[in-house]
Amino acid sequence: MHALKLPMVSRIVWILLLMCIFLPGTCSLSFAEKKAEEKLIIYTVNYPLKYFAERIAGREAQVEFPAPPGMDPAFWMPDAGTIAGYQGADLILLNGAAYAKWIPRVTLPQFRQVNTSAGFKDHYIKIDEAVTHSHGLGGEHSHSGTAFTTWIDFSLAARQAFTIMDALSRKRPDLRDTFLGNYQVLEKELLALDEEIKKMVSKNPDRPLVASHPVYQYFARRYGLHIESVMWEPDEVPTEKQWAELRYGLEGHPAKWMIWEGEPAAASVERLKSMGVGSIVFDPCGNTPENGDFMSVMRKNVENLKPAFQ
Amino acid sequence: MIDSLYIAWKYLSFNKVKTATLIGCILLIAFLPIALELLLNESEEQLLSRAVSTPLVVGAKGSSLDLVMNTLYYGEEVPELITMEAAQQVAMSGLALPIPMYVRFRARGHPIVGTTLDYLDFRGLQVSKGQSLALLGDCIVGAAAAEALQLKPGDSLVSSPENLFDLAGVYPLKMKVVGILGKSHTSDDLAVFVDLKTAWIIQGLLHGHEDLSKAKDPQVILKQEEKNIVGSAKVYEYTEITEDNIESFHFHGDPGIYPITAVMVVPRDDKSETILRGRYLSKEESHQIVKPEEVIDTLLQNIFRIKNVLDAVISVVGLATVLALLLVFALSLRLRQREMQTIFRLGCRRMTIARLVAAEILIIVLFSAILCMGLVLVVNHYASDLVRMLFIR
Repeated sequence: MHALKLPMVSRIVWILLLMCIFLPGTCSLSFAEKKAEEKLIIYTVNYPLKYFAERIAGREAQVEFPAPPGMDPAFWMPDAGTIAGYQGADLILLNGAAYAKWIPRVTLPQFRQVNTSAGFKDHYIKIDEAVTHSHGLGGEHSHSGTAFTTWIDFSLAARQAFTIMDALSRKRPDLRDTFLGNYQVLEKELLALDEEIKKMVSKNPDRPLVASHPVYQYFARRYGLHIESVMWEPDEVPTEKQWAELRYGLEGHPAKWMIWEGEPAAASVERLKSMGVGSIVFDPCGNTPENGDFMSVMRKNVENLKPAFQ
Repeated sequence: MIDSLYIAWKYLSFNKVKTATLIGCILLIAFLPIALELLLNESEEQLLSRAVSTPLVVGAKGSSLDLVMNTLYYGEEVPELITMEAAQQVAMSGLALPIPMYVRFRARGHPIVGTTLDYLDFRGLQVSKGQSLALLGDCIVGAAAAEALQLKPGDSLVSSPENLFDLAGVYPLKMKVVGILGKSHTSDDLAVFVDLKTAWIIQGLLHGHEDLSKAKDPQVILKQEEKNIVGSAKVYEYTEITEDNIESFHFHGDPGIYPITAVMVVPRDDKSETILRGRYLSKEESHQIVKPEEVIDTLLQNIFRIKNVLDAVISVVGLATVLALLLVFALSLRLRQREMQTIFRLGCRRMTIARLVAAEILIIVLFSAILCMGLVLVVNHYASDLVRMLFIR
């Protein structure tokens, strides 16, 4: 092998230098280009919003939802390190409707927060059972009075996804078309689920149902379901008092199916069966599912619901 | 010449009072205009640099100077309050980033600045010790304030009551110092930064108390209705936010209409700035939008008009002092007539006598100049702190 001759080396250096001068893009990226290439950092307060953001942003964003598995994100309180993560995000996607009770108690960059349900805040469902109080000059107020599981009304989920698309487009106007295209695919899937449930319910619209937890308000309103709720946990067998309350409730609301948030304890299923009440799992999927993703969990939920309306 | 200087020195050190008086007079005449110039230049620089770096400020219609001084330099004069709607309005326009500011309360003499994290990013303020704001009740303290109040992360700082005689008012809030900011050589060094929500807690708009539905003391409940519990004045509101009680803190009313003193507006570009400014021109508009640079420029023009008057006064006083000094020297020469005669009889020329007097004047002027230089150096060193203490605070 011959060593490269010096004039040859200097010629290559000159060519490279000229390329650097006339084709700056080939040698270095300008600051703006670097910024544009950086991924958006998005933090969300629940899993459905993370899923929507990931679907819409695709590879253009890094979406984080740091709540530990098994925790209800609505009542979770992040530690200082996690709050710092939220503070450093380009976008913080909130569910609104008083979801994630920790939000008002921490310091987050005000105008990087996006309330995905702000567009339909006039349609939030107030929980009548919540006791309000008043004192001093502030007047009457309630500490917890808004139903927050908005995303299981799939038409509202689509609106939340639209807000995410809009927020992303404001951050990266150059990618608006990509975001819009991804959103339209997601919207189609959500509205297909919406249509499917409507069709399913239309077969037996007056069927009474009982829910293990009061989290199906938006779902019931959208699809015209007659749901009464108890306060049971799927992994705990209810006490005798709770069974008695259910029996009493079923007298006025003769439900044949109970909707559970998660897989119920076998003993609870058996005892319900003996009372003529079947068990269905409809997971609101507030936290990251163990298997699958939001859409697969929701499709399974819809499948699980079918026996109740046949 | 050395002999003349020696004799002059001996004479001056013998007449200490006279010498000190003469040095003092010359020193004052030289030092005052230089110090004034230095301080004015520094204040101009400080006022302008902060004003130039703040694109626009939205506030209630009224004194634009009060608005800018309160928003930029945390002046004690609080402008008329506006609501968070003003910030929302800017955000909704999509033309600029709004940074709400609530500069109303104080803690041990230092301004409490209620704002959002965007402010720290905008000003490039870095936490040098501890961490940034995270929870309600947290505060981060400017470098100079931390030094003055001897605060470090983990300490507490109590807000001062607005009015000493407001016995029925809101309790002071015990804030947790979570971080100390690095020196920025601006008004931020003297401030205490809190989240807007913490500022509203200080005002009592957001508060925490025991759950009235679980209250053990029947006296805390005034009236219990089906879905409403009316608390009595005995309801104890927490004065410190801890892990145990943070969940009880809640808003009363719509936070969207909570008060702030101003909105700092950072437009996306020049076009956005022009459009935004145009939106506040209507007579019906209850808010004003000001460019701090223009407001401070007007203020500085006034200051320089005052400076011209001061310069004239100093010039007249200076002239009078110089004349007085000449008189002192002339009288001194007359008093020293016999001394001069003796020197003359000893065989010295008239020129020697003139050299002696010149040496005395030279020594006096030299001493005055050295002292003046020393004082000027001191003022120059502390100019930025002095300006903040005397003019901007």
